[in-house]
Amino acid sequence: MDELLILVVEDEPEVRAEVVRDLSFAGMIRVEQADDVADARDAIDEVDRAGDHVGLIVVDHRLPGGESGVDLLVSLKDNPNTRAIRTILLTGQAGHQDTIRAINEADLNHYFSKPWDPNELVAVAVRLLTDFVLDAGIDPLRYVRDLDGPRLMAAFAKHGRPD
Amino acid sequence: MPTDHREHMWFTNRRAWVDRTTIGIAVAAGWFVVVLLIGPHGDLSASASRMLAIFGAAVVLWITEAIPLSATSIFVIFAEILLISDEAIVGLPAEFEAPTYQSIFATLASPVLMLFLGGFVLADSAAKYRLDRNLAGVLLRPFGNSPRSILAGLMAITALLSMFVSNTATTAAMMAVVLPVAAGLEPTDRLRTGLILSVPVAANVGGLGTPVGSPPNAIALGRLQDQGIEVDFLKWMALAVPVALIVLVFAWFLLTRRFPASADTLDIRIGGAFDRQRSARILYVVFALTVIGWMSEPFHGVPSSIIGFGAVVILLATQVFTVDDLRGLSWHILWLVGGGIALGNGVSATGLDEWLVGLYDWGSLSTGLLMFALAAVALGLSTIISNSATANLMIPIGISLAQSAAVDLDPLLAGLLIAMSCSLAMALPVSTPPNAVAYASGEIETKEMATVGLLIGVVGIVLVVFVMPPIWDGLGIL
Repeated sequence: MDELLILVVEDEPEVRAEVVRDLSFAGMIRVEQADDVADARDAIDEVDRAGDHVGLIVVDHRLPGGESGVDLLVSLKDNPNTRAIRTILLTGQAGHQDTIRAINEADLNHYFSKPWDPNELVAVAVRLLTDFVLDAGIDPLRYVRDLDGPRLMAAFAKHGRPD
Repeated sequence: MPTDHREHMWFTNRRAWVDRTTIGIAVAAGWFVVVLLIGPHGDLSASASRMLAIFGAAVVLWITEAIPLSATSIFVIFAEILLISDEAIVGLPAEFEAPTYQSIFATLASPVLMLFLGGFVLADSAAKYRLDRNLAGVLLRPFGNSPRSILAGLMAITALLSMFVSNTATTAAMMAVVLPVAAGLEPTDRLRTGLILSVPVAANVGGLGTPVGSPPNAIALGRLQDQGIEVDFLKWMALAVPVALIVLVFAWFLLTRRFPASADTLDIRIGGAFDRQRSARILYVVFALTVIGWMSEPFHGVPSSIIGFGAVVILLATQVFTVDDLRGLSWHILWLVGGGIALGNGVSATGLDEWLVGLYDWGSLSTGLLMFALAAVALGLSTIISNSATANLMIPIGISLAQSAAVDLDPLLAGLLIAMSCSLAMALPVSTPPNAVAYASGEIETKEMATVGLLIGVVGIVLVVFVMPPIWDGLGIL
């Protein structure tokens, strides 16, 4: 209930394992994996049914199964239930047009080209997940340790319980 | 974007409380309906019985937090208008002088709330221009770099800020400084825990210091004001600052003993260069003038609420504090306090207070024991529920009790000691939001917080109940 998750969508097992390892920085934040868009949608539905939240999705552009990573991001933006999910495109193969579409139609939050710098990936993930926690109205104090503590504490002081 | 229903959302997110929500609402509604149906009974007049229905429902709702605290507050105001005002839906006996419904609405703008509004606007502006952090940096410099003196400096500055800024906001700001420092210490260094615990402790204790320091102070002042007992800013400080200082010194002693440092030196950097832009300079001047104005009321006679309100006018007009900032103000806290003041007024206007006080033969207790009982109940209750809610429930009854003929207790002293006991409760992470913030760091165990918090609470109320009153009396400030 009210768990926060990161979803990694990547078809190559070695790359996926590497991204998952990089993003497993927080004890309280689970990392889920999917290898194509259909699989990713199932994972998001399942998380939603459990009352948990996917706060961040990290997708590769070129995926098997007919739909691309950018297609997934655009469809997430079109759905009010998934619109708040923060997005990272992590890819070596997105063309100019795909990237433009991701920015214009899916409000892409961040773009990484492979190979990526793990520290930078974690820093961006922390920033985006902190944004998500504050937007989604999840208790910010639960994530003081794992995410941007000062920002979460300040938000709690501003909107939380009285003395 | 921040939304103003956060308090409620976080609340409903805590699933374990769902049952408590249902039970709270059911018990409150049940009490409300049954007491209204029974109506007047023996000594309990028609108006007092209606107020008893409201009071009991408010007790249940504030304790269970079945609905947000501020929602209970405006429920109290609404129910008073419907049941005991001159616009009551079912008429009351003619001999009852019903308060006008306008006067009940007006509790939301009572002078003490306008003072609090001024405090909020100043505090939010100070945070906006980082005046709080920069000031803390300047003030910490003379404390050198030995861990014991840094801890003393940190606590003194946290307490000082918390006298003017909300306890929770002070804690959040100071924790942002302390957490990286603690993380830089050896994992085995006990000082880590001491440093992190010192912040909420000092913020909670500092909140005692001024009328704007924490909501329980405002609730006490509002109730006293309604009874014609005026306590100005300086008088409150003269009563409360010594208490806060002694408790702080004790807390420092306790923390340095329990959590000795293994590091020899400690380096803390807070803040940076002061903002020099025009709006920041306006803020510095307005802040200084307001605080001076508040503390010099005996000389000029202008009530602190009017001075605070003036500061709001200037900061808003000069756009130092913008309309957007205004939207982000903690309005729910003002409403929470407003409901408490309305509850106190209603209880006293209907005579419910006399009826409640008459339920027990208070004269059989010594004054000292009575004071201790009030303080201990306030401390105990507010260890578990919100300080402000405890104050809302206990202050009206405590002050009425002090005014009854059966008891020899100064109403001001009763209000003061209940308000202070509420703020001295800090034994658990749930006791106060500053504790919750410190606990969220994951660096302290509940057991450590409980030991330190309990000792501070006990020493605090012994001080307030037994040590200070004779001194206040002797100095003639009570």
